[in-house]
Amino acid sequence: MAMATSTFSPHPLSLKPQLGPRPHRLHLAPFPRLRSHRRLAAAGEAPVEAPPKPAEADPSPAASNGSAAAAPAAAAPAAPVAAAKAEAVASPKFQDSRWVNGTWDLSRFGNTGGAVDWDAVIDAEARRRKWLEDSPEASSSEDAVVFDTSIIPWWAWIKRFHLPEAEKLNGRAAMVGFFMAYFVDSLTGVGLVDQMGNFFCKTLLFVAVAGVLLVRKNEDIDNLKKLIDESTFYDKQWQSTWQDDSPSGPKK
Amino acid sequence: MTSLSSSAAAARATFLPSSCRARPAGGRRSQLLVTRAAASSPKLPGGRKLRVAVVGGGPAGGAAAEALAKGGVETVLIERKMDNCKPCGGAIPLCMVSEFDLPLDLVDRRVTKMKMISPSNVAVDIGRTLAPHEYIGMVRREVLDDFLRNRAQKAGAEVLNGLFLRYEAPKERNGTYTVHYNHYDSSNGKVGGEKRSFEVDAIVGADGANSRVAKDMGAGDYEYAIAFQERVKIPDDKMRYYEERAEMYVGDDVSPDFYGWVFPKCDHVAVGTGTVTHKADIKKFQAATRLRAKDKIEGGKIIRVEAHPIPEHPRPKRVSGRVTLVGDAAGYVTKCSGEGIYFAAKSGRMCAEAIVAGSANGTRLVDESDLRKYLAEFDRLYWPTYKVLDILQKVFYRSNAAREAFVEMCADDYVQRMTFDSYLYKRVVPGNPIEDIKLAVNTIGSLVRATALRREMGKLTL
Ligand SMILES: Cc1cc2nc3c(=O)[nH]c(=O)nc-3n(C[C@H](O)[C@H](O)[C@H](O)COP(=O)(O)OP(=O)(O)OC[C@H]3O[C@@H](n4cnc5c(N)ncnc54)[C@H](O)[C@@H]3O)c2cc1C
Repeated sequence: MAMATSTFSPHPLSLKPQLGPRPHRLHLAPFPRLRSHRRLAAAGEAPVEAPPKPAEADPSPAASNGSAAAAPAAAAPAAPVAAAKAEAVASPKFQDSRWVNGTWDLSRFGNTGGAVDWDAVIDAEARRRKWLEDSPEASSSEDAVVFDTSIIPWWAWIKRFHLPEAEKLNGRAAMVGFFMAYFVDSLTGVGLVDQMGNFFCKTLLFVAVAGVLLVRKNEDIDNLKKLIDESTFYDKQWQSTWQDDSPSGPKK
Repeated sequence: MTSLSSSAAAARATFLPSSCRARPAGGRRSQLLVTRAAASSPKLPGGRKLRVAVVGGGPAGGAAAEALAKGGVETVLIERKMDNCKPCGGAIPLCMVSEFDLPLDLVDRRVTKMKMISPSNVAVDIGRTLAPHEYIGMVRREVLDDFLRNRAQKAGAEVLNGLFLRYEAPKERNGTYTVHYNHYDSSNGKVGGEKRSFEVDAIVGADGANSRVAKDMGAGDYEYAIAFQERVKIPDDKMRYYEERAEMYVGDDVSPDFYGWVFPKCDHVAVGTGTVTHKADIKKFQAATRLRAKDKIEGGKIIRVEAHPIPEHPRPKRVSGRVTLVGDAAGYVTKCSGEGIYFAAKSGRMCAEAIVAGSANGTRLVDESDLRKYLAEFDRLYWPTYKVLDILQKVFYRSNAAREAFVEMCADDYVQRMTFDSYLYKRVVPGNPIEDIKLAVNTIGSLVRATALRREMGKLTL
């Protein structure tokens, strides 16, 4: 069962590229200025109280290019970041003045108009998650995390991730997902959808397939065969008991 | 069984109309099975009873031996270690308590709050929707296994302390199997035991993940996860937190493809994790699990360290002649939740019932088709459960972003009610279409948000 490892293993293909910084279409967004500004602001949000000044003072033109942007952005507030890192060794706990009682204090994310700057909230949360991924923290019931990404309104996500993300959100992807659920299911040859008189399970199945499509990289969607293999492999493992007793059946 | 070869073909072919699609088991197939054993298989000579050896005295073996003995079959159960303390979380669903008539004092703890903790430490208490009498039972395996074995003995099964070595298949058609084992006798204090053998008509392999019965019958291998667990005795005040609570941690730090757990035991907690894909890193994942639970288990003393394989899927072959497999030996552990005790006991009992029926209460010989009836029924009943959990694991344990979405999804009352109902009672309750649509929309929303955030994380350098 060497196959098992390769098929089951949680998709290093989709994992790897997303972990590391990768050149992404987003960088070609129509508003490079805005984007670079945001990026710099984000980099300035070191877990220690870093004055955001140096970041704003450097509207680097290079920032319009994704990969190059990272360098000046990181370089500009170099000192505070380094300080943060040093402190991180002593006490790796995530800290940010706007992170209060397990959530982002929205009152500290006001922009000039007084409305919440959701983009900054998204930046801050991405930063927090990245921080925790690098140095996981003890979960604590006294100091529970209560922040919920769903408080960020949908339009903030759409605005932020304009083209590619909005496209994924729209009906087209949903339709693809929906048909895929049934399509993949019929390919497995076992009719899970039919077999389950239970709507909840059907929903799970639907969500699951939609999820695979969303979580995956676009390129993978083209790679239909892999997706199908993945969803049928487990079935084959279950069915093999029933196969080897038919004289003409494939021996496993 | 010609329909089976076509089902295999159908599984591979694409674009088949649904009407010629194959079913996993049961359904059309079970109708095709010819019921004949009880009617046509030979009566046992001299009025002797059917003899069956059950190898292994875990939940699968104990349940099988009891049902066999009750059904009038002469049953011998071999267990190599009577006080075996199988490395196990020990969580059992509520329906197991009633279906297997377990006395309530067997249940050390009643967990009513399952805390699920995401990579960014968002914690969700699952269990808000539980009715006052509902809980997840926590048992000690040495106690449960012993109880089931004793009950089998009371029902008339002979329980032997010995190490099963191998079996010999019969030379002639209706001949007997010879079981070779190492007999342990505590009374004469002989170490290593004494080689003995006996004859039986059928063998039930319930000897767990490293099954020797499976090896002898050429059942083939399965992919397995390695699970690591430390029993930690924590201070009383910390223990109070785990009184009726269990924790599940998800994240790339604790396991790339499973979860880390803290399960309460009678007077200590079990802290563990598992993985299929990165077995070499298991110690690292265990350290990460410990770290994430740090505040709650601080000051604890590790009293026992254990590790054990967990099968990922059934073996390619689960029956050969009059030998069949049940429980972990067959490979019945669910993905995603890693649950196997109930399915072990249930498969043991179902297998025994098929033998009892096929042998007309132990008066006739059985054959492979009788044992296949148990397999068909088991697959029909539980395959959808296994499949759904496989899908859930593939989708939601694949990355930290997906795990965040998973935890968000679990915060939903409707999801909690549905998952608990299916876990506790092993039945599928019809859902509510409106709630389902809401759930689908919300979960996809969660996935999109988590993926979007991850994309941003990819661009960050800390
Ligand atoms: C760390 C860990 C945590 C788990 N947590 C949970 C959980 O919380 N809930 C849950 O439902 N499941 C859990 N599981 C899965 C569960 O433990 C198994 O699915 C279950 O024990 C299977 O039961 P069984 O009777 O098939 O096999 P086993 O429990 O493995 O029993 C096999 C028996 O056979 C005996 N034996 C083996 N070889 C021989 C031989 N040659 N001769 C004689 N006797 C032999 C052994 O001594 C043993 O008693 C967990 C597993 C692990 C490893």
